[in-house]
Amino acid sequence: MRKPEERSAPYWSALGCVLSVVAALLFQAAPTRLIEGITIMPTWPLMVIFLWSGLRPYFMPPIAIFAIGITQDLLTGAPMGIWALSYLVSISVFRFRGEDGMPRDLPPIVLRFGATLLLAQAIAFSAGYFALGEMPHLQPLIIETIASILMFPMLAFLAVRRRRGSRSGFIGG
Amino acid sequence: MASRRTARHDAEHGVRFSRTIFIMLIVVSSALIMFDRPASRSVAFAGFRASFTDIAAPLLELAAQPIRAVKGIGPYFRMQGDLARENAELRQQLIEARYWEDLAYRQRDRIEVYESALNVQTQATQDRIGAWTVADPQGPFVHARLIGRGSNAGIADGYPVINLYGLVGRVYETGERSARVLLLTDLNSNIPVMVDRSNSRAILTGDNSDYPRLQYLGRNPDIQAGDRIVSSGDDGVLPRGLPVGVAVPTREGGWRVELYSDQAPIDFVWVWPYQPAGIPQSETAELAAGENADEEPASETTPQADGGTTEPSQTEGEE
Repeated sequence: MRKPEERSAPYWSALGCVLSVVAALLFQAAPTRLIEGITIMPTWPLMVIFLWSGLRPYFMPPIAIFAIGITQDLLTGAPMGIWALSYLVSISVFRFRGEDGMPRDLPPIVLRFGATLLLAQAIAFSAGYFALGEMPHLQPLIIETIASILMFPMLAFLAVRRRRGSRSGFIGG
Repeated sequence: MASRRTARHDAEHGVRFSRTIFIMLIVVSSALIMFDRPASRSVAFAGFRASFTDIAAPLLELAAQPIRAVKGIGPYFRMQGDLARENAELRQQLIEARYWEDLAYRQRDRIEVYESALNVQTQATQDRIGAWTVADPQGPFVHARLIGRGSNAGIADGYPVINLYGLVGRVYETGERSARVLLLTDLNSNIPVMVDRSNSRAILTGDNSDYPRLQYLGRNPDIQAGDRIVSSGDDGVLPRGLPVGVAVPTREGGWRVELYSDQAPIDFVWVWPYQPAGIPQSETAELAAGENADEEPASETTPQADGGTTEPSQTEGEE
């Protein structure tokens, strides 16, 4: 007999996935510069996509990644398709494959995220250069990259801890 | 039970990137990048973007509330020690501001007299539209902010946006309930400006840095470090005299502008529904009469190939 939480887990996980994606997108566009001292912004959507595509791959099919990318483009005012293309390609290259999916140790997760992030930023930079016809501002990209690399281990640690504690899940799983 | 678990297992490990869909989405993304370039964006794309921001604006406004609530905490604690000195400074500034207030009222009365004498119908003194920033993405591609009011409040593309200190940018992508403001620092921003002291003209061009460049200053421009830069109004889109910033020389011998609007985080802004002052009706009539007299044979009804006639072109006058 399955436990009650196991039966309800996919729905809670799905809810967690949707909420985390919405929160990441809103926070990415929010006027955080109003608060003194907060002028750096990690790439929250990529972190969320990366973690969910490792923990629950069926929550992050290509169409979901595309939708998140397009939404980010529209919210931030960037030409449509830049972040969609960047996330699609980088996640498809560096996503966790195999039966076990995402490992339960932190270092390989962080390393792979770093590679995903660098590829995503490189694609976004190239696509932005093509769309704008001029060199995009490199400084925000570098700041985003550093902030994301610094911030990601904390999120990954929480995800891995939850995963170790339960059979297959992140939030509610 | 076993079958359900197997299905779940399959779902977890069996559902992978569908190659066909993946390639299709890559193609769609590339096509979007190609067709949604800011320089050549079609009306359909701009409309879609504005509609999306209309839908997202209430959610973004909601998300901005906690940030707005805590934004004053840091400055509050930091400024406690400076309050007495700041209070004295503000009192002094208030005294000086009273003089300028009096001067402004007198100038307004004079302008009203001139306007009535010249029969000018100007909307330059129309009320400004206040709006809060609801999104302020810090991306590498576009320097723009989303404000929570749109065409329903009377905002339209091209209107100048100012804050307490100076010009912030111009409106583009206006939706019904939201509008995007292109900042002066953006790559696509070009504003005609002038040096307030010498009236030397230049174009203020954004390059995604915090200090936009002054271009087309001429060979021997009359400009000095610290000169006040204001809008020149030469394009007919912006009013003349909006404070922009202070001239700063660069190491390469060029000039940049330290923007006034950057003195504080841009949260509340005013959109100025500026319409350029038109030529007085009496002068328009005189001009038209003069042109008619000069071009009397040509300006009369023009015969057409089909035997019909046309009146002198109305669009020419508008142009």
